[in-house]
Amino acid sequence: MFKVPRNFRLLEELEEGQKGVGDGTVSWGLEDDEDMTLTRWTGMIIGPARTNYENRIYSLKVECGPKYPEAPPTVRFVTKISMNGINNSNGTVDSRSIPILSKWQNSYSIKIVLQELRRLMTSKENMKLPQPPEGQTYSN
Amino acid sequence: MADNGAADPGNNNNNKPDASEGTIIKVTVKTPKDKEEIAISEDASVTQFKEEISRRFKAKQDQLVLIFAGKILKDGDSLNQHGIKDGLTVHLVIKTAHKAGDGASSSPSSSSSTQAGSSSSPSPGTNPSTAGTTGPAAPPTQTPNILTGFGDLSSLAGLGMGSANFMELQQQMQRQLMSNPEMLSQIMENPLVQNMMSNPDLMRQMIVANPQMQQLMERNPEISHMLNNPELMRQTMELARNPAMMQEMMRNQDRALSNLESIPGGYNALRRMYTDIQEPMFSAAREQFGSNPFSALGGNSESGAQPSRTENREPLPNPWGPPSSTSSSENGGGTTAGTGTTTGTNPSVSNPLGINAASLGNGMFNSPGMQSLMQQISENPQLMQNMLSAPYMRSMMQSLAQNPELASQNPASSPSAGTNTAQQQQLMQQMLQMFAGGGGGGTQTPEVRFQSQLDQLNAMGFINREANLQALIATGGDINAAIERLLGSQPS
Repeated sequence: MFKVPRNFRLLEELEEGQKGVGDGTVSWGLEDDEDMTLTRWTGMIIGPARTNYENRIYSLKVECGPKYPEAPPTVRFVTKISMNGINNSNGTVDSRSIPILSKWQNSYSIKIVLQELRRLMTSKENMKLPQPPEGQTYSN
Repeated sequence: MADNGAADPGNNNNNKPDASEGTIIKVTVKTPKDKEEIAISEDASVTQFKEEISRRFKAKQDQLVLIFAGKILKDGDSLNQHGIKDGLTVHLVIKTAHKAGDGASSSPSSSSSTQAGSSSSPSPGTNPSTAGTTGPAAPPTQTPNILTGFGDLSSLAGLGMGSANFMELQQQMQRQLMSNPEMLSQIMENPLVQNMMSNPDLMRQMIVANPQMQQLMERNPEISHMLNNPELMRQTMELARNPAMMQEMMRNQDRALSNLESIPGGYNALRRMYTDIQEPMFSAAREQFGSNPFSALGGNSESGAQPSRTENREPLPNPWGPPSSTSSSENGGGTTAGTGTTTGTNPSVSNPLGINAASLGNGMFNSPGMQSLMQQISENPQLMQNMLSAPYMRSMMQSLAQNPELASQNPASSPSAGTNTAQQQQLMQQMLQMFAGGGGGGTQTPEVRFQSQLDQLNAMGFINREANLQALIATGGDINAAIERLLGSQPS
């Protein structure tokens, strides 16, 4: 298959993020607009209804390394969250526990990662986990 | 770009200092539910943007949270700063007054109340039954039995309910739990409860410490066997913990059972199983967590395939019994057993009835029908005797079978039980049917039906006619099973 160069992919994703492609429950963009390497991204997930995450806005940091999109990005929650696969003390998303990261394909994107994390919030094992008070963030 | 020096036509924002400069851009504002296009000046601040949005979406400004490209737009920022341009989309979240944050704050309080409540949920059979029993009539003296098993939880009496009497507290909790299945599932999901339940030794200790349970164990070594098997306990608790898994198991059991029917000779085995399960079912009739005991039955899918008798058989004493402490305690013990039992298969019959009974349980016990039933039972000494001499539901059902009008009278006499009445009648009829089907004779007394079996047992040296009869009743006439039962019930 023809491999899209990394920057092209990321620029495309940047544009999608700004245009709000998708259902409006996730958002992403460059952390720093001047970042020419397009590595550091911020993401936002709106907690799904009928779960303990409801009505909350979760902020994340997504890092797309040089091998992206062949390699998955590293994802980290900034807002404190209690969820399976998320490290409780620093918010890093365990790439082995989140299926989309462990079985990454180069057709996946930041949007898909965010949407998948959001979907996992609705899973039975996660949706009722007691959550820390709103607005807390991890210290790093 | 910003070349229209004239007043901006779309500038309906209030207080724009440099009104003439900014271009109007159209920004799409999207909420999870809806989407609006808002025209705003390019140089506007987020605050101004929010004002416009609040008008359009009819929400207060401070309820609005704007997100663009993964960042939250703070009031002090400007749209420009974030690179918001014409045609782009900004996400909007309208915060409602009640937030999921409440979930966090209420969980500490719920976990403390679940500690008190956990005395009920971890051994789902025991407490609800005793609390249920203690509900209407019987003294709350039975609850201390369970409490002592759980260590000193009386200190929790002051929590939450404000009731000085811990028994009352527990009863209240039970009633609340029963009426609100969601709360129950919440409690079950509480990590504290789950931790407790995941510790088989702890569970076992708790169950065993209950004197009612001990009585039951003496009567039925199978229970102690089951309790001693850690694997089984763990499975049971997994099941009790995870309602979804329980249902899965139940479905598997049903499928296994239907397969079983097609095996030659399997139908008889099924019938036997039905009669065995009748008892737990009756306990479910008064046990509020009706479905739980059964699903616990679904512990071992393999044994379902075996036509031979199942291991599970805790004869559950009769739930229709008068509110005497004996039968209540038996009930309590019985239902615990119902919860704790496994390795038996879970017949499909008990499932629909179990669920039916669960909703019945509350109404039934409290309904005048039940009370009139009890009245009639007490009036009819034959029945009383049966009940007292044989703690098995079966004998009572036999009497009921003999006096079918007795059975039909009871539900009918309950005046305004509404749907409960219909359900009760159905339940009664079903029970009678099954009983009749299981016994194969319906209206004969057990002695008559099992005459030949009794003789055989006698010839083999089992001279205790009463015990023989009970064993035969329990096994539905199967001599081998009865023998096993008799041997098992010898003092061990």
